[in-house]
Amino acid sequence: MSTPSYVPWTEKHKPRSIAEIKEIVGEADYIDNFVSWLKNWRPGEKAALLYGPPGVGKTLLVEVVAKEFDYELFQLNASDTRTEGTLRRLVGQSSRTVSLYSSKGKLIFLDEIDGLYGIGEADAVKAIVELIKESRVPIVMAANDPWDPKLRPLREVSVMIEFKRLRSSSIIKHLKKICTKEGIMADERALKIIAELAEGDMRSAVNDLQAVAQGKKRLTVNDVSWLRARNRQYQAFDVLRMLFSAKRCDDARNVINSSLLDYETLMLWIDENLPRQYTDPEELAKAYYYLARADVFLGRMKRRQKWELLKYIIDFMTAGIAMSKIHPYRFTKYGFPQKILLLAKAKDMRAIRESICEKIASKCHLSRKKASTEVMPFLHVMFEASGLAKRDISRWLDLNESMEAFLKKRG
Amino acid sequence: MAFKEELPALWVEKYRPRRLDEIVNQKEIIERLKRFVEEKNIPHLLFVGPPGTGKTTAALCLVYELYGENWRQNVLELNASDERGIQTIRERVKDYARTVALGDVPFKVIILDECDAMTSEAQWSLRRIMEMFWRTTRFILIANYGSKIIEPIQSRCAIFRFSMLSKEDVAERLKFIATKEGVKLTPEGIDAIWYVASGDLRRAINLLQAAAAYGGPVDDMTVYKVAGRARPTEVHEMLKLALKGDVLAARQKVYDLMINYGLTGSDIIRQVHIEVFRLDVPEPLKMEIEDLVAETDYRLTEGANEDIQITAFLAQLARLGKKMAG
Repeated sequence: MSTPSYVPWTEKHKPRSIAEIKEIVGEADYIDNFVSWLKNWRPGEKAALLYGPPGVGKTLLVEVVAKEFDYELFQLNASDTRTEGTLRRLVGQSSRTVSLYSSKGKLIFLDEIDGLYGIGEADAVKAIVELIKESRVPIVMAANDPWDPKLRPLREVSVMIEFKRLRSSSIIKHLKKICTKEGIMADERALKIIAELAEGDMRSAVNDLQAVAQGKKRLTVNDVSWLRARNRQYQAFDVLRMLFSAKRCDDARNVINSSLLDYETLMLWIDENLPRQYTDPEELAKAYYYLARADVFLGRMKRRQKWELLKYIIDFMTAGIAMSKIHPYRFTKYGFPQKILLLAKAKDMRAIRESICEKIASKCHLSRKKASTEVMPFLHVMFEASGLAKRDISRWLDLNESMEAFLKKRG
Repeated sequence: MAFKEELPALWVEKYRPRRLDEIVNQKEIIERLKRFVEEKNIPHLLFVGPPGTGKTTAALCLVYELYGENWRQNVLELNASDERGIQTIRERVKDYARTVALGDVPFKVIILDECDAMTSEAQWSLRRIMEMFWRTTRFILIANYGSKIIEPIQSRCAIFRFSMLSKEDVAERLKFIATKEGVKLTPEGIDAIWYVASGDLRRAINLLQAAAAYGGPVDDMTVYKVAGRARPTEVHEMLKLALKGDVLAARQKVYDLMINYGLTGSDIIRQVHIEVFRLDVPEPLKMEIEDLVAETDYRLTEGANEDIQITAFLAQLARLGKKMAG
C-alpha cells in the first residue's frame, strides 16, 4: 500500500521560522533573549538554559533559530546519553574542534537536561559544566524543571530563559491554521475544548487534534467529547499503534513493556479498537479469536490463581493480534473504550433501574438479577399499556415518579 | 392468616400459594414436605429444578406452615447471586444463628436461593457454615441445576427435584387467576402463553398480567404482542448487523442490551440461541452459528470479560456472513 504511514501533525505543521512562531505566540521576550544571547556569544560566556513545561516550543525555537542564523546544530538528547563518558565523547568532538571547511557556526543543543539521572548523574553534570567553560561553540540546554538541586552547577553557568505555558488563544489560532490546511471545517468550540485540555501544551493539543480530526471534513464538539481522559488515552493510542503495526511476534510482545497501562486495561483498549483497525472480516475474526483466548486465560488465571498463565495471555493479546493482520497497517483513529463512557452516561438510568429491581427483588423473593430479567420486561409492558394496574403496582412497590417514568418509556 | 400486608399488585406474588397443598403439581415432594411439618423437623434441603416450577414457593410454604405467625423471626431469606461473596453470607448467617428460635420448632431456617450462582470455593465455605450451625439452623438451598452443587453439600441435604410443569398444570393455574381477576382468557391465549413460557409458571403469569393490562381479552395476539415488547429486538438486530459485517454497529447493540436492559453476556447469548433459528439464513449456516454460540456460552463461564467474548462471537459471525455472501 502506498498510503503514507502515520505522519504526526506536530511535525507536519511545525512552524518553520521565527516569524511563524511569533505569529502564533505574539511578541515574546524569550525569543528575543535567546536570539541575542546566541548572536552575542563568545567563547567563555555562559550557556543558555531554556526551561518551561512540555510542548511550549523550547526545542522548536532552538531548531528554528539555528536554521535562520545558519548554525550547524548538534543535538543531543540528554536522557539517552546517561553516562559522563558518552556525553563527553559526543559533545567533546564538536565543541573543541572548529570546522576547517565550513564557515557555519556550530550550536550544541542538550535537550531534556533534567532527564539526566541514574548512575553517573552528578558526574554528567560536572562534565557539562566543564564543557561549557571550555567550549568554543555556544551550548544551549533545555529542561522542564531546572530547579532540581542537582542541576545547580548548570544554573550557575547558564543564562536562564523561561518559557511560559501557551495561552489558549495562541493554541486555538494554531489549531485553526492546521484545520484550514487539512481542509477541515472545525467548530471553534471544539478547538477551544482541545486547547483548554492541553493546558498550554501545544504538542499535546496538536496530537489531540490529529487524533480526533484526521480524515474528517468537519470537526464538531461531539468529536472531542471523549478527549477528557487525554493523558491516559494518549498513552494508549501510541501503544495501540505500535501493537497493530508490529510485523514480528517479538515486536508485538514488547508493546506490553512500553505501556503504562496494565494488561487488563490494555485489553479493553484493544477490544474497543480492534474492529476499527481490522476491517476485513477474515483478519478481524482471527484477531478476536486470539483476544478471546487471552480473555479465557485471564479468567482461568484469576480463578485458579495460576499466575504463571500470564505469559500466554500477553502473547495472545499482543502477538496473536498483530499476526492476524492480512492487510498492511494503515492509520486508524482510535477511540476510548466505549463501554466505560456509556456506563458513565447511563449511570443515572442504571441507578433508577437498579433501585426498581431492588424493590421487586425484596417483594417477589427473587434475586435482583432475576428481577431484572424476569419481571422488569413485563413491568415495562404493563406501564406502557394501562393506567389501572400501573397505580397499584406503583403503590405496592413504592415507586417514585422517576421510576414510573423510567418504566413507562423504558431504558 | 399471617399475611396482613397489602395485597400484592403483581399477580405472581398475589397468587403465590401460601400453603403446600396449593402448589401446582410436584405431588410427591409436597407429601414429604408435609411430613416434615408434622414432625416439626427438617433436614437440610436442596431444591433443584427449572425456573418457575415452585421451588421458592415450596420453601416459603414450608416455613409458613412450620412457624405460622412467627415465620418472619425464624426465617432468613438470602439470595446467593445478590450477596457479595461468601463472607457476607457467613456474617449474616452467624448473626442470625446467634439467637434461638421462637416457638416450638427448635431451629431456624435459612433459605438460600440461586445457589448455583456460587463458585465452588464459596460452596465449600457454605458447607462449613452449614456444619458449624447445624444445631440451630437448617438450610433450604435452591438451585436450577443440581450438578452445579458440590457433592459434599448434596450429600448433606435431602434432595428434591422439581419437574417441569405440564401444559395442563399451567393452563389450570392461568384460568384460575384469570377468573379471579375478571380477565377473559381465550384457549388461543393459553396456547400462546404456553408457547412463549413453556413450563415456567412465573413467566406465564407475568405474561398473563401484562397482556391483561391492555384491557381487552387475553388472546394469542395480545400475548405475542407482550412477548415481542418484552423481548428486546436488539438481539435480532445485533445478529443481522454482524452477519452483514458491521461488527462495530452490532457491538453498539450489545452495549444497549447490557446498559439499557441490564443484561449480562450470558443473558444475551441465551437470547441469541433462541434467535439463531429464527434468522433468515440458509439452514446449514444456522448450525455453524449455533456452534459458535455454544462455544461462546462456554467461554463466558471461563473468561474474565464478557464484552470481549461477545464481540469475538460477532467477529466470527461477520466472517460467516462474508463466506455466505460468497
